[in-house]
Amino acid sequence: MRPLIAALLLGFALPATAMAQSVADLRNDAKTPGDVLTYGMGYNQQRFSPLKQINRKTVKHLVPAWSYSMASNYGEESQALVKDGVIYITSHDKTVAVDALTGKEIWKTTIEYPPETTKTVCCGIVNRGAALYEGRLYRTTLDTHVIALDMKTGKEVWNVKSSDTADGAAMTGAPIVANGVLVNGIAGAEFGVRGFLEGHDLETGKQLWRLYTVPGEGEKGSETWPNGGAKASGGSTWTTGSYDPDLDLVFWGIGNPAPWNPLDRKGDDLYTNSIIAFRPKTGEMVWHYQMSPNDPFDHDGVNALVQADLKIGGKVQKVVMQAGRNGFFYVLDRATGKLLAANNYVKVTWANGIDLKTGRPNWTIDMKSVIESASKISTWPSISGGTNWFPMSYSPLTGLAYVNTLDMGMEYQPLPIEQVQNLKTGQPHYGVKITNIYPESGNRGILKAIDPLSGKAKWQVPFKSANWAGTMATAGGLVFTGALTGEFMAFDSETGKMLWQFQTPSGIIGQPITWERNGKQYVTVTSGTGGVYVLKIPDANLAHVPPGGSLWTFKLMED
Amino acid sequence: MRKRFLAVAFCALATQAAAEDAADKAKIEDGATTYENYCATCHGMELRNNTGVAFDLRRLHADEHPRFVNSVLHGKQAMPAWDGTLTTDQVEELWAYVRANANDAKK
Repeated sequence: MRPLIAALLLGFALPATAMAQSVADLRNDAKTPGDVLTYGMGYNQQRFSPLKQINRKTVKHLVPAWSYSMASNYGEESQALVKDGVIYITSHDKTVAVDALTGKEIWKTTIEYPPETTKTVCCGIVNRGAALYEGRLYRTTLDTHVIALDMKTGKEVWNVKSSDTADGAAMTGAPIVANGVLVNGIAGAEFGVRGFLEGHDLETGKQLWRLYTVPGEGEKGSETWPNGGAKASGGSTWTTGSYDPDLDLVFWGIGNPAPWNPLDRKGDDLYTNSIIAFRPKTGEMVWHYQMSPNDPFDHDGVNALVQADLKIGGKVQKVVMQAGRNGFFYVLDRATGKLLAANNYVKVTWANGIDLKTGRPNWTIDMKSVIESASKISTWPSISGGTNWFPMSYSPLTGLAYVNTLDMGMEYQPLPIEQVQNLKTGQPHYGVKITNIYPESGNRGILKAIDPLSGKAKWQVPFKSANWAGTMATAGGLVFTGALTGEFMAFDSETGKMLWQFQTPSGIIGQPITWERNGKQYVTVTSGTGGVYVLKIPDANLAHVPPGGSLWTFKLMED
Repeated sequence: MRKRFLAVAFCALATQAAAEDAADKAKIEDGATTYENYCATCHGMELRNNTGVAFDLRRLHADEHPRFVNSVLHGKQAMPAWDGTLTTDQVEELWAYVRANANDAKK
């Protein structure tokens, strides 16, 4: 009898735990904390966990369970994924599977890209994560390969090349699986790439569709560029969109126009600096909303797109929201793209608010003087934005968005138009003179708990070096994030009081997650400094932060 | 006569020196732009990088011009080869910019 019972148990147990996950698992990812299957900890990308074993009271007992070396001095921006007791993590040169409880490596698959690849990587030699589906891990590479690996062995299942890196294209973002299609974006507006999104067949890697984010000559939207869109470029898609399976819409942030200098591209320059919604099966665009028309400031529209149900005027509305690079916190009806709220959440001087009827910004005199007469101005926020790629989280319990905001402005002037008129794809597309302005307070970043509808902060915590990491909120009343000086920290989600911190070996620019196994809650994050701020912007506060990537998992100390 | 001749000669020299200064300045400024476009991503703005992963170019000495040109054109460790992307003039402008801001050039 015994063997029979065991076999029966095994037979029943296997499908529930070890089987490849289904569409339903992806849909329920945010509610099933045993696994983290999606970028953003759920299709809605709230980065909110219902787990509460680690909470305001117990977090003081949080200690490292293990750490694992990423064997790299480049930045570790990737979000870990968890499935059946295995953690999957990516970096620019490898994909790794690690035993979630012990930290022991299970497999490692390296990526080799030609050395010239990095000539057209503007902002850090990084990767931000993967997608998991039916036994396969999907990711992109710096030299624009989209690949599928077997989750058990790390062996490559398929590998397709998307673009030519000599033209300035690169891939750093995590793809998503939506309605049976692998969707990924591209980077490279800084080199004049014509941005796009694309869908790949999960089984074979075959490209199913490509949705260009700026029009070809004479195509829809080309009327918003000079010369019928003959030279329209930019509109990268270098972060990761979120998916609403009920509406069957993917929401994706579209990047800046190219070049940064606006003088030779008068017009709105659609669909740059926009949020778009499209069908994952076909790549058909359903709606768009543009945040910064004719943008001169690299105010990329790519920041995290978080879905939530918000009570607005007594009515619960399905929204998608973004803390925009341009300094405004946008809330849109995610079925239609209608603007519901847009208030500044950091210092903003290029616009006096957003017209809710037309959705357009009211340009200040300064902004007009740049567009009309190439004036030199001092303006906020800087090219780094009010926040950047590192994703915010949203807690449905507090109704607050937790955002690592930036407090930097800049002196800005476009160079003469002649300097940007004959740029070729693959060449740097800047054409501006910029000098950063740092705040007198000495604090370049502020972690804020923001009310999405007003943009106002309920609490805020300043940091000398701007935090460049994602945030995560939990039902335990905590907000986790990391500092460029290496501290991994937990804050009270209601008050902002720091309740716990741990010094990791390098700066944190990663994305924390939490998960449970055998009734125990764990928190996982990468350490490993890098990314565009650390690489480019001099910061004396970082003089004693060594590079070096590692993956960390924490748990409550046992008696 | 002689005095006047000297004065004219002095003026000419001064003008020439000023022109050379201006040319050097322009070269350094062009180098700064090239640096921002191609190099700052890893080496940091104003030649300062926080992680120390990329070489601190301010450490280069005046006699290391061949080493500099060779590394830029043919690549070194993680740095790709820039031959074919940057012109010889641009590399020389970069050198002028690097030397103008070198540690041993500071007064």
